[in-house]
Amino acid sequence: MALADYKRDMEGCSRCSSCKWVPFNQIKSWRFAKNCPSICRYNFHAYSGSGRMIIGNSILEGRSELNDSVAEIIFRCQMCGACDTACKVYRDDIDLTEVLLELRAYCIEQGELIVEHMAMIDALKREDNVLGEPKARRGEWAQGLGLKDINSETCEVLFHAGCRYSYDPDLRDTLRGQVRLMLQAGVDLGIAGAEESCCGGRAYELGYRGEAENYADDLLSRVKASGARTLVTPCADGYAHLKFLYPRMGKELGCEVLHVTQYLQRLAQQGKLRLRESVPLLVTYHDPCHLGRMGEPFLADWREDKLQRPMSLKRSGRKGIFDEPRDLLTSIPGVELTEMERIREYSWCCGAGGGVLEAWPDFALWTANERLEEAKATGAEALVTACPWCVRVFRDAAAESGLELPVYDLADLVMLSAGITETARA
Amino acid sequence: MTSETMTQSFETISDEAYRDLEAAVGAEYVSREPGVLDGYTWQPTINDDPAKWVKRPVAVVLPSCTEEVQEVVRACNRHGLKFKAFSTGWGVYSGCTYDNVVQVDLRRMNRILEIDEKNMYAVIEPYNCGAQLQAEAMKLGLNAHIIGAGPACSPLASATSGWGVGWDGVYMSYGHRNLLGAEWVLPDGEVLRVGSLDSGLGWFSPDGPGPSLRGIMRGSAGALGGLGIFTKCSLKLYNWPGPPHMKTEGVMLDAQTEPPEHMRFHLCFFPDRASLDEAVYKMGESELAYIFTRTAVGAYVNTFAPHLLQNVSRTRAFRDVLSKTLKWGCTIILVGNSEDEIVFQEAVLKEIVSGQGGLSMETMQAAAIGPMMVMNFLRVSAIPMVFRAGGLFSTALARNEAWDTQMDWAEKGEKIKQRWIDRGGILDDLADNPFMALYEQNTWGHCEEIFQYNARDPKHLASLEPLFVEFSVAAMEMCMEPLSVTDARLREVISPMMGHYNEWQKKISLFLDARRAADTGMYCDEVDIDLSKIDPEIRETLDRMVAKLTWSEEGPPS
Amino acid sequence: MAMDKDKLSAIVGSENVSEDPDLLATWRQAGPVSGGEPQLLVRPRSTAEVRELVKLARAEGINLVFSSSAPPRVRGDSVPAGEAVIVDMSGMDELVRLDRRNKVALIEPGVTFERLIPEVDKAGLKVLMPLLPKRGKSVLASALEREPITIPKYHWDMTDPMLCTELVFGTGDLFRTGSAAGPGSLEQQWAAGGAQKNPMGPAQTDFVRVVQGSQGTLAAVMWCTLKLEVKPSIHRIYFVPDARLSRLSDFTYRALRPKLGDEWLILSARQLATVTAEDPSRVDELAAQMAPWTVVYGVSGYEYLPEMRVAYQEKDLAAHAQAAGVMAASEVPGCSAKRMERILASPSPEPYYKAAPKGAFMDIFFLTTLDRVPHFVSVMEAEAGKHGYPPERVGTYIQPIQQGRNVHLEFTLYYDSADAAKAGELFTSASQALSEAGAFFSRPYGPWADLAYARCPDTVAALRKVKDMLDPDGVLNRGKLCFTREVV
Repeated sequence: MALADYKRDMEGCSRCSSCKWVPFNQIKSWRFAKNCPSICRYNFHAYSGSGRMIIGNSILEGRSELNDSVAEIIFRCQMCGACDTACKVYRDDIDLTEVLLELRAYCIEQGELIVEHMAMIDALKREDNVLGEPKARRGEWAQGLGLKDINSETCEVLFHAGCRYSYDPDLRDTLRGQVRLMLQAGVDLGIAGAEESCCGGRAYELGYRGEAENYADDLLSRVKASGARTLVTPCADGYAHLKFLYPRMGKELGCEVLHVTQYLQRLAQQGKLRLRESVPLLVTYHDPCHLGRMGEPFLADWREDKLQRPMSLKRSGRKGIFDEPRDLLTSIPGVELTEMERIREYSWCCGAGGGVLEAWPDFALWTANERLEEAKATGAEALVTACPWCVRVFRDAAAESGLELPVYDLADLVMLSAGITETARA
Repeated sequence: MTSETMTQSFETISDEAYRDLEAAVGAEYVSREPGVLDGYTWQPTINDDPAKWVKRPVAVVLPSCTEEVQEVVRACNRHGLKFKAFSTGWGVYSGCTYDNVVQVDLRRMNRILEIDEKNMYAVIEPYNCGAQLQAEAMKLGLNAHIIGAGPACSPLASATSGWGVGWDGVYMSYGHRNLLGAEWVLPDGEVLRVGSLDSGLGWFSPDGPGPSLRGIMRGSAGALGGLGIFTKCSLKLYNWPGPPHMKTEGVMLDAQTEPPEHMRFHLCFFPDRASLDEAVYKMGESELAYIFTRTAVGAYVNTFAPHLLQNVSRTRAFRDVLSKTLKWGCTIILVGNSEDEIVFQEAVLKEIVSGQGGLSMETMQAAAIGPMMVMNFLRVSAIPMVFRAGGLFSTALARNEAWDTQMDWAEKGEKIKQRWIDRGGILDDLADNPFMALYEQNTWGHCEEIFQYNARDPKHLASLEPLFVEFSVAAMEMCMEPLSVTDARLREVISPMMGHYNEWQKKISLFLDARRAADTGMYCDEVDIDLSKIDPEIRETLDRMVAKLTWSEEGPPS
Repeated sequence: MAMDKDKLSAIVGSENVSEDPDLLATWRQAGPVSGGEPQLLVRPRSTAEVRELVKLARAEGINLVFSSSAPPRVRGDSVPAGEAVIVDMSGMDELVRLDRRNKVALIEPGVTFERLIPEVDKAGLKVLMPLLPKRGKSVLASALEREPITIPKYHWDMTDPMLCTELVFGTGDLFRTGSAAGPGSLEQQWAAGGAQKNPMGPAQTDFVRVVQGSQGTLAAVMWCTLKLEVKPSIHRIYFVPDARLSRLSDFTYRALRPKLGDEWLILSARQLATVTAEDPSRVDELAAQMAPWTVVYGVSGYEYLPEMRVAYQEKDLAAHAQAAGVMAASEVPGCSAKRMERILASPSPEPYYKAAPKGAFMDIFFLTTLDRVPHFVSVMEAEAGKHGYPPERVGTYIQPIQQGRNVHLEFTLYYDSADAAKAGELFTSASQALSEAGAFFSRPYGPWADLAYARCPDTVAALRKVKDMLDPDGVLNRGKLCFTREVV
């Protein structure tokens, strides 16, 4: 596909600005009515989903040209999908996220590159992770856990830790705890250790599609070698790419793909994970974009007139993972959940995605602080989420702004309740 | 780098003028990047130019306060530039009509400054959307009028500069009539405060001392940016006896709202037009309803299930059910302040409906439709779904007047549309697709004939201007002010039929804007229109109307 | 100013031109406004004649003062500032059309309340009335001057109950506002079902708003359509007397927000006694027996289930009354609910009710919000005290408008000839003090113009531009509002 293939999507924009707002039936206040960090931060219409489509259309029609500043506009976006979801509440014939992805790929084709993204891709190529950490240390987190090594053994469940969890020391206890919860439940669990690579999704989001495809092939081969029937990942980003991007690229993993919260919830339902200890805490839950609306599985490509596309094939964001994390959270004795105004498929983004954290960290932190304020407004004692990128940026934002609100990975609370003491942050 | 060869050229702003704009609002909040400017140039809605682009502004600014707006306007005056305000910005009316216009995007002026709960009004800035205001008002037991274009739109923009009709007009009036005060940056950069505000007495009263400048500010339509920029306004709020927040799960077609205690959602159907009309007059006289609209079955189905309509409309029997059996209906939401009141209201409604041989179905407390639809009516949230069928729609409205005339307009619109549907010029929505409302618990109302079209179909796009002319001529024939009174292409023809209104608008423009800084394309300009593509019989009718209706020195023709 | 009687006669006919000094005398002084020097009076019979008069005035520099109502004149808007030709519109008195279905009357300026009420009543409708208008008061003029009506729920906007108008601007141009603007003549519009029901427009101006409240300085109104409402099939009036205005305010806010009640007004004891007394000499006695403040409200039932409507309204209002700590009654000293019902639906008896008790009166009125009324009442009391004016001779009338969002607050100073000077002094100083306290003199008659316009120089500048556009030669009611002197 090329940008021109999305001309009909772009010229379908009525400029109604629904892409800037929480779906109208769910607007509950003045303060938290908007859904798009980019337009909220930069204000010119060009920074909205609609505005970026208009830019694409304008370029295709020879009205304007791609240059450094236009490329910056295109990339100052977390690719959170809120605009797409909001647009699709009302109409069927525009795939906004796809247009945004296509614009990014077009920038790369045209040599309009963001320096920080280039650095990230270089690191990725060099070390197989987006953080530029040494590849050889990728599996260090699992030392002493006794996990199977899929490079030499088969397993029932392949655990794909993802880049952020593998290297972020602040999240290590959480990651190890997740694994211990599964091991305690008797799960036959394997990892690729140092051989685990990035899923490639972030490269795809940045417009580097060739790299993304290579990493998909890589993971495909690892899954096959592992013999696993289930792949579990705690990385919400990775989850979305495996559920949507891979099948869209024709890369079928041949196994069930679950986010760790889904898997833990399943174990809890089966009685294999017993949540006994009370964790008396009023919490609010942040839906990670890539676990939620962007985590909706790939349905099908529709090459015909999208006005005629069946509703069942429209990527609405509603089929993402929203209930399992909440079920798991509320099954913890003592935990009380209070919801923010923007939740589920109309959740506000944490700010970390789409290459924003790397290129414009101030924008990422601003976005995260917006969310923290929303969380604080619920009266919750803590913010809980289920994505390492979200946890990272929320904690950094809270530290920067001085907003006092503990941020937990959902697994942290599960561990506490299950009596696993590895977590240091509780 | 240049990735594509630019094939078009546009006016640009001088560096000196640009620096002045930067000085006015800060460099971060000005842009002349073509891609950014085109974000304000793409205006397909209610735009009958198939290209869908309007004039590109030479710069866009994002002021944060009234003083910055003044500085921008003054800079435009100094540099011979024009300016055009922009708030939520949906529709061709937000766009520029001249070269060398600075678009003033008021997005950063987005606050609710005050809600006076006792005296039932709110003071708001331009980029406050209807849904936000309603959400905050409901927390206080109040509600805000939301226009038919939906909750994304700016209540300030509709009340000061646009129109102002909505389904809730029966209980919450019309945008302009809800205005209690305005802060207005005139085209020369000076600020005029309308009503008691200018006397330093607050936002409660819009008229006087003596004559009301509200009448200069706008009429049944606003000046559409042609008289300056409105930076704040005070709007009436209305009683809301429901909960502080309408508990709703889901976002649209999956929405389920918890029924408030004293709310009823009725779908009523009547055997013929006469009985519907009679019932509507009786409802008006009984001062019923919180929300009222005619039920346009084709519109509903085409909005909520467009594929279904496209399929079933091929089946004659089903088509007849939709277009004939269910043709004469209305949707009514009743809200009571007490159990006794809602029981009374519902009893009256049932008597009226049964008295006209109609059927009434309560769907809020007893059936599923109400919980799914109620927010769509209270918040007008389903409106962007009208795009589902073809990607775009347009509208033809005539003067708000007695309900009977609005029904006549609906019938006329249906006939016009049917011809265009038959010739493949627009989408088939069963032709009868009026957006109708009542005003002020009374018997006058609103009707605009909506038509949907395929945004990517050149044949459909080519139909738009002829439809615009045909609907305008039809309104003239029916002695109704057409929507095109605000359109430069037909002003020269229509103005002399209506007391030469545009001569007065030109004078107002002149006295407020001696340096011609405002973009007056939608206020008082007159441009030629090429009628060669218009059906000959429509052209002949237009000529006949001009001869018949143009005022003489003595006044209107008898 | 040259007054060419022949030229005027050529337009309206010599029989319609008068120099009768007794007749003209009623335009020499009204309330606090004096100094009028009407030279001639003309009685046009048609719009065409009015247009000719305006053209003549422009050519000859004549000051035209339009006037429609019968005396007594109380506000002073039609008392010329100097020389003038009075254009007496009372002869244009046709009730042109009464449209029952659409609840609209098309009336000329000479149609009085006394004349219109029974005609409208016969059609099963009712006129939206101010409180006890003068018997000979022009209905059109009342609406044109934004006089408040007594049923707040029907007062959606400040234009109500005026809808469409035909105007003759000071340029001599003819214009029609609202849906009457066309296209098409009235007859053509009627044939097409039009009822001149929409007050807005045409197009992107609202000249009816500009002309309302302009005291005849911008245009003359040849006719208007008037919003009427359904005559109730059941109509009951209640009184809620109480010592504390704050409690009645609370009750009023509670009731008007959900649009309960029909008529709704608050009167001080003095004012209620003046309004209700069958024998004006008993006003003092009745006022002494009444509670300091009384809400008067009505509830109605219409065509469908009228008893049920009245029942729920009574019940809900009783609940609000209880919450506010007040209680409704069916009578007050000297006045039953039935009598009050008649009062609210009628013009004033002769002589004008405010003049009856003491022989003379002066009103001070302005707009504010209900919650600020107690402040203004204390300002007024303080001013009365300063001037040694007996507080019991000040009546207070609070009329909620715009469905309760604003109130028209009116103080009436009752006096006899012996107290005239004192009343005049109080009028002047109280007007000043109230203005300083935040009174919005939205209808700035006479001396209030200076008070009001001094507060809003930007409005003055804009209004002068409007005046230049609509009356470039200044032939309409010269010297009024802000159209003469510089405002300090």
